[in-house]
Amino acid sequence: MTSSSVTHPAARVSTGRIALWITLTTESVFFVTLLVAYAALRDEADWSLPHTFTRLLIPAVNTTILLVSAFMAGSAVRAVRHNDQTGLRNSLLRALLLGLVFVAGQVFEFNHAGLSIDDQAFGGVFFTLMGFHAVHVLAGVVFLALNLMRTNLGDFTSTHYEAVDLGVWFWYYVTLVWFVLFAALYLL
Amino acid sequence: MTAQAQSISRKQTLGSSGLLSWIMTVDHKRIGILYLVSAFIFFIIGGLEALLMRIQLAKPDNTFLGADTYNQVFTMHGTTMIFLVVMPLAAGFGNYLVPLLIGARDMAFPKLNALSYWTYLFGGIFMYSSFVYGGAPNDGWFSYAPLTEKMYSPTHGMDFWVMGILLLGLATTIGSINFIVTIIQLRAPGMSLTKLPLFVWTTFVTSFLAVFSLPSLTTAILLLLLDRQLGAHFYNTAQGGSALLWQHLFWFFGHPEVYILILPAMGIVSMVIPVFSSKPLFGYAAIVFSTIAIGFLGFTVWAHHMFATGMPTVSLLFFSADSFLIGVPTGVKIFAWLGTMWRGKLRFMSPMLFAIGFVALFLIGGLDGIHLAVVPVDWQITDSYYVVAHIHYVLFGGAIFGIFSGIYFWFPKMTGRILNEALGKWHFWIMFIGMNLVFMPMHVLGLEGMPRRIYTYGPGRGWEIWNYVETIGAFLIATSILIFIVNFFITILKAPQNDPDPWDGFTLEWTTSSPPPDYNFAEIPSVRSRRPLWDNKHPDLADWKKEEA
Ligand code: HEM
Ligand SMILES: [Cu+2]
Repeated sequence: MTSSSVTHPAARVSTGRIALWITLTTESVFFVTLLVAYAALRDEADWSLPHTFTRLLIPAVNTTILLVSAFMAGSAVRAVRHNDQTGLRNSLLRALLLGLVFVAGQVFEFNHAGLSIDDQAFGGVFFTLMGFHAVHVLAGVVFLALNLMRTNLGDFTSTHYEAVDLGVWFWYYVTLVWFVLFAALYLL
Repeated sequence: MTAQAQSISRKQTLGSSGLLSWIMTVDHKRIGILYLVSAFIFFIIGGLEALLMRIQLAKPDNTFLGADTYNQVFTMHGTTMIFLVVMPLAAGFGNYLVPLLIGARDMAFPKLNALSYWTYLFGGIFMYSSFVYGGAPNDGWFSYAPLTEKMYSPTHGMDFWVMGILLLGLATTIGSINFIVTIIQLRAPGMSLTKLPLFVWTTFVTSFLAVFSLPSLTTAILLLLLDRQLGAHFYNTAQGGSALLWQHLFWFFGHPEVYILILPAMGIVSMVIPVFSSKPLFGYAAIVFSTIAIGFLGFTVWAHHMFATGMPTVSLLFFSADSFLIGVPTGVKIFAWLGTMWRGKLRFMSPMLFAIGFVALFLIGGLDGIHLAVVPVDWQITDSYYVVAHIHYVLFGGAIFGIFSGIYFWFPKMTGRILNEALGKWHFWIMFIGMNLVFMPMHVLGLEGMPRRIYTYGPGRGWEIWNYVETIGAFLIATSILIFIVNFFITILKAPQNDPDPWDGFTLEWTTSSPPPDYNFAEIPSVRSRRPLWDNKHPDLADWKKEEA
């Protein structure tokens, strides 16, 4: 997102950052609504499928992958602050690749969870929440990839790196949402 | 002509006024006008649907429309008026006015702005294409699941509704984020939040309402989509789904939505009434706070649409009391508008007439709302014509009158031409009388037990006379809209006067030429009070002297 208007000189927080915050707010309401719907449905009916999976292995591995990826994304910001272009490039690349591995892991999980979308209401809840999260991960990957491209064009310096920052914030957000979903769908 | 000369002259026509220039535009003023014009066309379509319904209901046992067609027509009427007319009309004013009112050159994200307009237009056209593809949606504007599940609504109509609403929700979300960022970031120096023109305030709060409430609608619709397309069971009680889930999700959006529809109109009349009373707005802070209060409270009353679903008594009590509470900030505003007019030098020109009409009719609609919030009363008259009376006093008497006030008020800014005053008065009075003829008797019909959404009724229940009167009223409203359209065309065909400030206005938009240049302000203005233009015109009596004192 780029702003073509002049930002008010006295404005402290950048326009892009405010836009990201508001976007994440509306996304969060969306996820919370889905979770509340899930809670309500669970409250109302007996799921005939066990909602705790015996195989926590794949989701646990996936969680680790995403966490490491978020850590990589964080080091991208540290690198650009020190104008370390190779560090920036490598961190973004690693975060992005790990993100893709996560999505692949999710696809594997979808096929092995022993569930389908029409298995009672729970199947629907599971695939909707997971599916939408996966879409967000892919959006985050695109965001990181755009930043990687701009890094290769030499667009970022230690004083000019807002897009990196915003992309990483989005990545943190995606990770955070994953933890909530993991807890809600597998652990509770 | 050589090929080169030809291409140059073509470029010139495309440059500033050709069709392509409108399609490619990212200028907030043009996008605003695109929104207004498109939404007005949908208003005519939605109005024609209303006329069809009124013709069908004019006599008992009428056969003008069949039951199935009637269902499609009322569903599309409600959906159109809410999603394709009132919301985009407000977005149109917002786009046109917010940058001008805050002293900015454009919105924060001009390209996203264009994206939200085109998404809206596409969503609207898409939804209407359902008529050609085997039937329009027919389950009402709130499309309750499980009725909307494939088993009960097998045509493609619901699929069009689902996809259409998703697109329109997306358009509104993008637009709202843009408004919020613009209002936070691009205010002219000196324009603190306490000096923000009221219409900007209401757009601000409305945008937050949209950002927080639309995800709930999106969720409801996505789940329905998955049920219908992929065989999920969210709303299927036989498979662990819920029959009430849709209602909760929908109304958690639906009640904030009614404020999304009304707040912009409240913003408009809060700008019009002071100018035509030659006084500053009375109770600025009270209006701002009540707007914010409505924004918060609006999220807590949704279940008053569900009193008849069998809720625990505590819930009934809570949602009922809470709904009374939300009447308070609304009442505060009515007093502020009356207080502004009190002892003012009133000029009863078209914008002012529509603003006063707004206050009067909205008051009736609000009182109807309070009646409906009384649980035992609601049990008697829910799903009756009483509810139809309520929603039309607030939405037609409220939102549409407020929007016409804005159209008469800012038309000279947008086009450089003032709409004909005599025709404006005819428009107002015929619409005002027609509106009351249609919707006042609905109270009686509701109390007599006439259910909403029935395609016909038998004779001998005492309903004939009122239904007949209502149909006459509907044609009066149609006549008044025709007068407006005639007024529009004769005005637009005349030479412009280009008067920058025809009403002796108070706010920044009147400091620009009419219509304003592309960049709005050659120099970004700086602001010291709520009425910057008044200050310029009357340096001795400037507001900032009082406000800062
Ligand atoms: C004074 C504040 C208000 C109160 C207490 C109130 C209360 C209510 C109640 C209790 C209902 C449900 C009636 C039923 O279905 O049995 C209702 C319906 C409705 N209200 Fe209000 N209302 C208020 C203001 C408004 C405003 C400002 C608007 C819009 C601008 C509005 C628009 C609607 C609509 C569209 C419906 C009908 C929804 C439907 O069933 O199709 N209301 N209102
Ligand atoms: Cu409500």
